[in-house]
Amino acid sequence: MSGGIRVREAQCRGCANCIKSCPTEAIRVIDGLIRIIPDLCIDCGECIRSCRDKAITVNEDEWDLLRSREGLILMADPTFYVQVGAYSRPRLMKEALEHHGLRDISEYASTAFDLAAYASAAIIREGGENLPYISTYCPAVIRLIQINFPELVGRILPVESPLETAVTIWRDATGGGEKVTLVAPCPAKATLVRNPVGRGKSSLEYVVSVKKVIRDLLAYNVKVTGTKTKAISRRWLLWSITGGEAKHISSFSDKGLTSIAVSGLRNTMDLLNELELGRLGGVDFIECRACDLGCIGGTGTYESRFLSQLRLENIETEWLPSHEEMEEIRTWYEKGIWRLENPIQVKERLPLSQDLGEAMAKLREMDAIYAGLPHIDCGSCGRPSCRALAEDIVRGQGEVTDCIFKLRERITSLSGEIQALSSKLPHTLHPSGKRRQR
Amino acid sequence: MGQEPYVEEYTIQAGDFTAIGEASTKFRATLKMLGIPSEVVRRAAVVAYEAEMNAMIHAGGGTIRMTVAPDHLEILASDQGPGIPDVALAMQEGYSTASDEIRELGFGAGMGLPNIERNSDGMNIETEVGVGTVLTARINFPGQ
Repeated sequence: MSGGIRVREAQCRGCANCIKSCPTEAIRVIDGLIRIIPDLCIDCGECIRSCRDKAITVNEDEWDLLRSREGLILMADPTFYVQVGAYSRPRLMKEALEHHGLRDISEYASTAFDLAAYASAAIIREGGENLPYISTYCPAVIRLIQINFPELVGRILPVESPLETAVTIWRDATGGGEKVTLVAPCPAKATLVRNPVGRGKSSLEYVVSVKKVIRDLLAYNVKVTGTKTKAISRRWLLWSITGGEAKHISSFSDKGLTSIAVSGLRNTMDLLNELELGRLGGVDFIECRACDLGCIGGTGTYESRFLSQLRLENIETEWLPSHEEMEEIRTWYEKGIWRLENPIQVKERLPLSQDLGEAMAKLREMDAIYAGLPHIDCGSCGRPSCRALAEDIVRGQGEVTDCIFKLRERITSLSGEIQALSSKLPHTLHPSGKRRQR
Repeated sequence: MGQEPYVEEYTIQAGDFTAIGEASTKFRATLKMLGIPSEVVRRAAVVAYEAEMNAMIHAGGGTIRMTVAPDHLEILASDQGPGIPDVALAMQEGYSTASDEIRELGFGAGMGLPNIERNSDGMNIETEVGVGTVLTARINFPGQ
């Protein structure tokens, strides 16, 4: 967990829905409250979807507080611009925001996404050993790779998230020194602000969900004409559906780009697994998004992902940047601001023991414990599976009687013992139970 | 120090292509819990996967066993299939006797055995036509 997810303890009933929904088995319920194991959580937000009590949410800043500030600057995720039919172009949204005294930096975001695609195409062209490269865009996928697919870390494109680069470009171009708020579609992108990977400190300061801001805008129903501001390219909006990033990169590749784009965690994990087994020869680029249909499926969005997709599929996209835009992209490219500051590190979970012999002994113990469990993965012990309980026990974080079936067995054997003891007679009694007659 | 090795074994069911890679995935989880370096884990996963594939495609199933010792691990796949008439030929990249049906599924590219050899520090095949095949692959741990 890198700070993308917040648990509201008062609302948690201690049910087992979230623990079963977690793709990395990172959740336990202990003493009636959920506990997220930070080393295993990838901030994907599946638990948010599964929680019926709204006890798990995106860890966002207080929007009411932020929006009361004068001249708030927003860096909105591309999904933000396809949430409402009436504001489904960046320039329309800009106007609606201005009505509320808010400013977005979408014109710089557009350049930043162009730049990221251009830089990615350049790196893939050099390719060689590292092909296929993996997209850096979805922070949940990056964490999944760091934790579960350490061998693939070197394949992640060393290109910074354009959501960060956009702020750099905006500051450079306008001299703006204000703090910037990210409008994020999911908990994973909130981690860009809270706990960035590949750079020391984020260029973004606060984070709110797309849902919060859109609800606020809709409450006022501002009529917009879109005539006040100049048009902004919409290539970058396509990054919020599956395959959009790959298409954008491909538009900057001189030779065709062989890419695979998938969304949803099951597809992502299967694809990464195949990549690790060396089955994806001949592929140049892999785009994975943790959410179904892409970022529009994020848990912090407002609009139905299906309608968002429909909107995105229907917008006309000019893939070729104008001469002017191209000049700008090249200038920023030469400055190298798109490059990830630090290489992405592996984050492997601690083994059962640092000593191999001891680890093997513990693993044997774990197998023995597991063999005695019912293998129905009911979740009543607060763990996602019987295997996870066995592992927790050998790691010293649980006991066999956490399993209600094992507890029941203990009670049965205890009660049998009590029964046996209760049928024992004092020696002063005749075995018939009656006192001897005089 | 004489350590008792850790052994894990699975049965490979004939024709169950949905279960392919299951042993490989489980071995990987085991090795991670034991703290084995990730490069070794990756190589072991590839070896196990290819061995599973071979047993399923050519031999109608079999068993696969991983033995983890203090300084190396060994993957042993055995089957009661048709055996390999010409091992040297089978070792050539691109050579495969897989049926068209298997190829349609995207398998049988003739890379299995070469891949196993490439990812292990020693491979041995004992095979007899009509009796079966036992494949053993060893991977040493770094610094040993």
